[in-house]
Amino acid sequence: MKSPRTTHSAANATPKLPRLRAPLVFGGLLILLLGLLGRSLYLQRIDNDFLQEQGSSRYSREIDVPAHRGRIVDRFGDPLAISTPVKAVWAWPDQVVATPDQLRALAAALEMTPAALNQKLAQGGDFVYVKKPVAPEVADRAAALKIKGVHDENEYWRYYPGGEVMSHVVGFTGDHDVGQEGLELAQQSWLGGKRGSRRVIINRRGEIVEDVKSIRAPQEGRDLALSIDSRLQYLAFREIKAAVDANKAHAGAVVMLDVKTGEVLALANWPSYNPNNRVRVTRDKMRNRALIDTFEPGSTLKPFTIAAALDAGKVRPGSIIDTAPGTLTIGRATIHDAHREGALTVEQVIQKSSNVGAAKIALSLPAETMWQTLSATGFGATPMTGFPGEVSGRLRPAKSWRPIEQATMAFGHGISVNLVQLARAYTVFATDGELKPVSLLKVDGAIAGRPVISADTARAVRRMLEMVVLPGGTAPKAQVAGYRVAGKTGTAHKLEGRVYVDKYVSSFVGFAPASNPRLVIAIMIDEPAGGQYYGGTVAAPVFSSIMGAALRLLGVPPDAPIDNVVLPPDGADVREET
Amino acid sequence: MPRDTGLLSTLPRFSALAALPREGRTMLNYDVTLAWASLLLLAIGLVMVYSASIAMAEASAYTGYRPWYFLARHAVFVVAGLLAALVAFQVPLKGWQRAAPYLFMLGALLLVAVLVPALGKQVNGSKRWLSLYVVNLQPSELMKLFVVLYAASYAVRKASFLHAEQPLRQTLLKGFLPLLAVMIATGALLLHEPDFGACVVIVAIAFGILFLGGLDWRLLIGLGFLLPVALWLMIRLAPYRLHRFTGFLDPWSDPLGKGYQLTHSLIAFGRGEWLGVGLGASVEKLLYLPEAHTDFLLAVVAEELGFAGVTLVVVLFAWLLVRAYAIGRQAARLERPFSALVAHGIGIWIGVQTFINIGVNMGVLPTKGLTLPLLSFGGSGILANCLALAILMRVDFENRRLLRGFTV
Repeated sequence: MKSPRTTHSAANATPKLPRLRAPLVFGGLLILLLGLLGRSLYLQRIDNDFLQEQGSSRYSREIDVPAHRGRIVDRFGDPLAISTPVKAVWAWPDQVVATPDQLRALAAALEMTPAALNQKLAQGGDFVYVKKPVAPEVADRAAALKIKGVHDENEYWRYYPGGEVMSHVVGFTGDHDVGQEGLELAQQSWLGGKRGSRRVIINRRGEIVEDVKSIRAPQEGRDLALSIDSRLQYLAFREIKAAVDANKAHAGAVVMLDVKTGEVLALANWPSYNPNNRVRVTRDKMRNRALIDTFEPGSTLKPFTIAAALDAGKVRPGSIIDTAPGTLTIGRATIHDAHREGALTVEQVIQKSSNVGAAKIALSLPAETMWQTLSATGFGATPMTGFPGEVSGRLRPAKSWRPIEQATMAFGHGISVNLVQLARAYTVFATDGELKPVSLLKVDGAIAGRPVISADTARAVRRMLEMVVLPGGTAPKAQVAGYRVAGKTGTAHKLEGRVYVDKYVSSFVGFAPASNPRLVIAIMIDEPAGGQYYGGTVAAPVFSSIMGAALRLLGVPPDAPIDNVVLPPDGADVREET
Repeated sequence: MPRDTGLLSTLPRFSALAALPREGRTMLNYDVTLAWASLLLLAIGLVMVYSASIAMAEASAYTGYRPWYFLARHAVFVVAGLLAALVAFQVPLKGWQRAAPYLFMLGALLLVAVLVPALGKQVNGSKRWLSLYVVNLQPSELMKLFVVLYAASYAVRKASFLHAEQPLRQTLLKGFLPLLAVMIATGALLLHEPDFGACVVIVAIAFGILFLGGLDWRLLIGLGFLLPVALWLMIRLAPYRLHRFTGFLDPWSDPLGKGYQLTHSLIAFGRGEWLGVGLGASVEKLLYLPEAHTDFLLAVVAEELGFAGVTLVVVLFAWLLVRAYAIGRQAARLERPFSALVAHGIGIWIGVQTFINIGVNMGVLPTKGLTLPLLSFGGSGILANCLALAILMRVDFENRRLLRGFTV
């Protein structure tokens, strides 16, 4: 620094400043500012389309507006699945600012323990659901605390009043209110409606700060009426559950069809699950065995063999078939009867469930004829209920049948079916030979079936099936007080790998009242382990209790005296195997 | 020149005053339009700082989620700045001239202190602040004012060496090099923080004043060669500046990375159109645009108040420049070279810093940390700007007293 003296002397000189330089400098600066105004005009008015587009792509978002999902109701309109508006309370843990008192109040409002709340908030990260779903008024109480960083949003919660009773038919929805199982999945487009969308502006954290406009209004989902009769469904569920437990079985299923319309009035499985709380539910419990599992039907298939032969004119109901000595050897294989019988009529072959008799009748037919009848009654094709994952079972083409296969198929081995298929097939005997279409959805009025066998044949087989439940038949326990019942037992060895093992599928398929059939019920008990395994002792009693209660519930007029049930003395049971 | 051809003569009020410097006729003691333009800019700044910072303040733990955090502080700064301005206005230019070297030394000392680890406070990788418990002081802002005063006093002192009548060697050694050395030292301190923007402004002020003080034109040509070399050196010393330099040329090549801040600033301009989206309605300030309340305040003005708002701000700044020019010119005519150079130096300072800040906002200059004078948030900046304008008004005040025949 210079000394003040020098400064003084220099200042005394009062130097002249150059005159032109200041206008140059300031003129230059003003021109620069003017240039900036030009640039501003360019950015704000001339080239702004590009900039606005860029801006929109960063903070303009289209967000979904959830559409209300349609209800699922039973045939009388009772709700089976309902969407309830609820809220989800969520937070950005690192942005939550609250005093301990506020957090306690929040925990109380949300009906959580303070420890559980703290644990949620301690998870860190960007986003955490504090609790969902919560009732709107609960969320409102939480929102009233005005805690920074805690938010809520609208959602729909799917509630299933029928719980485990209906779960296999109805299914459930998963994330984003989309059907995941059962009819919720199958009817997604009908129930789900279409989500709408809105254009909103979000800030950098993704919070919506402005609702710009509605792009598309949500299209509400429609209600879906099922063919299920809740009362019959509860009944069927209760009985099949009790039967599976009593027989220490692996599983069981029951299907009830309306003969006139083909509607599924009840379809229950055990084990089942509660769709409202799917924590720890295994895939096994979720299986709707009646539709997505197949089994070898065993003797319940015999009536179709007989029907094919009757229709073809090869036998008449009174024709004599010699089943002695209770075995039949074809090539290297031998077919056995559970009981040695001698000469049986065709009717008795059904009544006593003779494998040898059925095989002999089947072998009198061309393979093609037998295949025609089985195929026409719906075997080897899906029952077309629209249920996700329903299976067709296995019916191989007639050309590939060897004689032993045709013989075993006569009594239901070497063919696989599902329970709905089997119940449906019996509609040809419950009507005068018409196969009814099945439906899980409500149907208005009677539906015409497809003629499969002649009316005479149908009536003849119906008579034989009535004999099955009479003393001397395989299933006296299927009788129902006050009604005439027709049906057929099945007791099939299970295949494990390619070998038949000592595990059974016990079944009974029947209909009533025999004079004017209204209901077909098919029962299947998988691997009974309670000592009994014959269809006549395991499945027939279940049929009897469900059928009796159902007919009374529906007010079907009895077609037999109330004391019609005649049980044979103990030990005189006619047993069948397959 | 026989007549004053400056802008001054085109201003009716002032020419009327010049023609009639009589007692009895109402003649104000200060420049009304300058005062109003300054106050209006301060007021716009207060409103826009609040608008630009509200979302950020509300979302930040640092501010305690108080939306008015920056508004409250900025208001305190403005009031403090105005009080300081009232005090500064009482000080005659003679006093400033005498104090200039000492103030400059004080400023240099503060710049050194910033670099001392125990004293300096680091924000965003730059050590620019001294923590004074209640507030943080940013010495580089005050240094701009001290450089104006120091360079003006230097130019007046060394006037005889600067002019072309002297041999070039004399001019170089005694007139130019001493200031160059001082400025290189100051610049080095600023670059060490680093504060590239302040460095550019201070160099512009110092050499602008030297130029206006009559620096030999032959040296100017030499400087013309030196400047690019200096720029190149600065970029070499800190490569991140080169990235900033290339980033602004095409921000859309990396819009979410290097170009993030600039692209959001440009989008804010694009959204503003003629009249803006409305006060408070900016989307860019919703945490998208970083430094919305400081360096990029004008982008928020552009979005919310549109081209009209930008024009208003630019015109007000242009008016400050016009007044600084006219006041300096009048002081020169009254043979008060120090006052003249101070007035013009303040004009250069405001003009250069405004141009750079707005240019950065609009993507015509590389992004660097410079605030918009009088508007952007920042206590030291506001204080320094208020002091500078008070001194400018003091120059005008003394001009008017001399015109009336009083002594200062």
